[in-house]
Amino acid sequence: MQAWIDFAKGPLFAFTFLFMILGLARQVVLQLYFLTAKKGRRLRDVSWGAMLKETLSWLIPFRHNVPGTEVFSAASFLMHIGVLLVPLLLVDHIVLWEGFFGVNLPAMGPGLADVLTLLTIGCVLALLAFRLFRTSHRVVSAPWDYFLLVMVLLPFLSGYLASHPAVNPLSWEVMFLTHLLSAEVLFVLVPTTKLAHVVLFFFDRISGVHWQLRPGAGDKVAEALYGEEVKI
Amino acid sequence: METASILRREEAPETQERRVFPYHLLERPEGDLVPKFLEAFAWVLEYTDYKPLLDSYSTSNAKCNRCAVSCPVLLASGDPKDIPCYRTNLLLDIYRRYFTLNGWFKSRLTDAFELTEDIIDEMGDIFYRCTVCRRCARACPLGFDHGLITRLGRYILSLIGIVPKALQVSVQEQLQGETRNTSKVPRAGLLDILDFLSEEMEDTLGVEVEFPTDKKDRDYVFFCAVSDYLMEPDTLMGNAAVLYAAGDWDRWTIGLCNYDGINYGLFYSDWHLENIIKQLVSEVERLGGKNILIGECGHASRAAHDFIPTFMGDRAPPVYNFMEYTLDCIRKGKIKLNRDIITEKVTYHDPCNIARSGWIVDQPREILRSFVRNYVDMTPNGEDNLCCGGGGGLVSVDEIHDFRMNVAGKMKARQIEQTGAEIVVAPCANCKKQLKELVEHYELPCEVMGLHDLILKAIEIPGAKSPEERKEEAALFAM
Repeated sequence: MQAWIDFAKGPLFAFTFLFMILGLARQVVLQLYFLTAKKGRRLRDVSWGAMLKETLSWLIPFRHNVPGTEVFSAASFLMHIGVLLVPLLLVDHIVLWEGFFGVNLPAMGPGLADVLTLLTIGCVLALLAFRLFRTSHRVVSAPWDYFLLVMVLLPFLSGYLASHPAVNPLSWEVMFLTHLLSAEVLFVLVPTTKLAHVVLFFFDRISGVHWQLRPGAGDKVAEALYGEEVKI
Repeated sequence: METASILRREEAPETQERRVFPYHLLERPEGDLVPKFLEAFAWVLEYTDYKPLLDSYSTSNAKCNRCAVSCPVLLASGDPKDIPCYRTNLLLDIYRRYFTLNGWFKSRLTDAFELTEDIIDEMGDIFYRCTVCRRCARACPLGFDHGLITRLGRYILSLIGIVPKALQVSVQEQLQGETRNTSKVPRAGLLDILDFLSEEMEDTLGVEVEFPTDKKDRDYVFFCAVSDYLMEPDTLMGNAAVLYAAGDWDRWTIGLCNYDGINYGLFYSDWHLENIIKQLVSEVERLGGKNILIGECGHASRAAHDFIPTFMGDRAPPVYNFMEYTLDCIRKGKIKLNRDIITEKVTYHDPCNIARSGWIVDQPREILRSFVRNYVDMTPNGEDNLCCGGGGGLVSVDEIHDFRMNVAGKMKARQIEQTGAEIVVAPCANCKKQLKELVEHYELPCEVMGLHDLILKAIEIPGAKSPEERKEEAALFAM
């Protein structure tokens, strides 16, 4: 078991984490390439300041409240706080970051980490319940959407249980290995699934850019499809 | 991954036969539509810039579903197929499957999503249940613009011949017809209408004017929705009254080769959007005009304001909505509006195409508050307004009248009723038509009119009849 744990802590962690970083970087580079190559000069006509302001305004809770979505939005907002902060600033993880990357991040207290972890678990369960029991959510959900929520839940749940022997039904080794492996699966999923919105979020938000249509494109599409005959 | 398939399975028994679209087609497209749709999609991706957008949207679509409670159509219909995210995924599923590497691999490994005639029919239906009001975009934490995707879906469908006949024949006339406008108003007809408007202005206002046509080198070349010449004389006389009272009568003109601001390309085709824009700018250049002044029409204003710079680059003349011009006149003291004429309770409907971006929200309110004592706002309003239910070209499609009344416009009708207003001001040709029909359908005790219809009643014109005098005359005439 220890050998498995060592493998998951060492090379597998390094590989999957690097996969995530490179995968996300690929998404960003491709987007930047497409945007600059295709839009070029027209990017100047976009009101970037307004878009940045709009984006940042989503960090303010309930700033964009839509009546009827309060509970869902609160669960989603709180979940994102936990998902971003706990993996980054938990004491045990700080050691990991220092070991691998030599960066020394400020650690959050174990009490706060526990609260945030439980909050994240609760929020993910709430989001899962929405997807399962609310028709409008269920209609747009595919099995993959449920699976991803469970995959986000696993590292938090196993991490919490591993660090709280009193509530852990299994051995520490099994739970810790589950924690490591589920986190590593998540690293692979982040750049390859909708979880890529961690970086693509910024590119989705600039939808305004895409109203800058390409001059002449319509004529070329029509010519390719219809030839000389203009068929309106 | 394919969310769309869930609903399709539920609907499968009903979709065994080819669906009849709720709108008329000019001609039913023949043959297998699947390869045609994919070919059109491929060429669109080849020559336009939608690829990064579709890559980003199709990868990061979180499906949080917040949009579901912001769509006025969905709020009224309760039908899951009206969920903006569901609609967007119809197109994204096709993109993922046929135009991404992941989709290609998945199709080899699993029983993956396949495009069928049913899905094309479903898109033809659903994309025209959306009014492209883009209210849902404001509710999306990721910033998805579902209106952009609806429009792209419509564009590709139009390339294989699926587009409401009402829109298609209008564009055909505007781009290829003799009259070059959507209502087929010939030049001689326009001149007759302008003569009629001159006579009306003399009768009602007591001013003698001749509408300036084809005058060169003017500051403003005026375009309204051409249907206004047929249906909204008061709006046009209101526009003219402001120009006259402000002393700008010799600064504007109406072109005689092109006098239609309508651009249905905004609703369904990049191709037509651009060519109609070019036609409009050519007219301004022919006349040597300096600025474009768009009358009371939401989509004409947005099409010109947002897309002339996009397509014309350095050749783009500045574009103003008439309300901006009128407000400028009020602020500079060039016109005066009498505060004692309009005694009714008035509310204002924000046309999505000029309000959603925040471009024209405060201006009409400032104008209205300057002369209307009893003004009340709807809730919600401004950038968060509810669509009238006729947006995205739907108002022009007569055969979906029931849908526009009972579904798309239902929330708006309720919203108007809640204000208790006697006059609903809607400075948009499309909104005005839809709202008038809604008022009639729901028997609401109010009247729908343009902002300049109201201004026409209250404007002070030196040397002409006073607003009070005109009001008395109108009352006598009404008796």
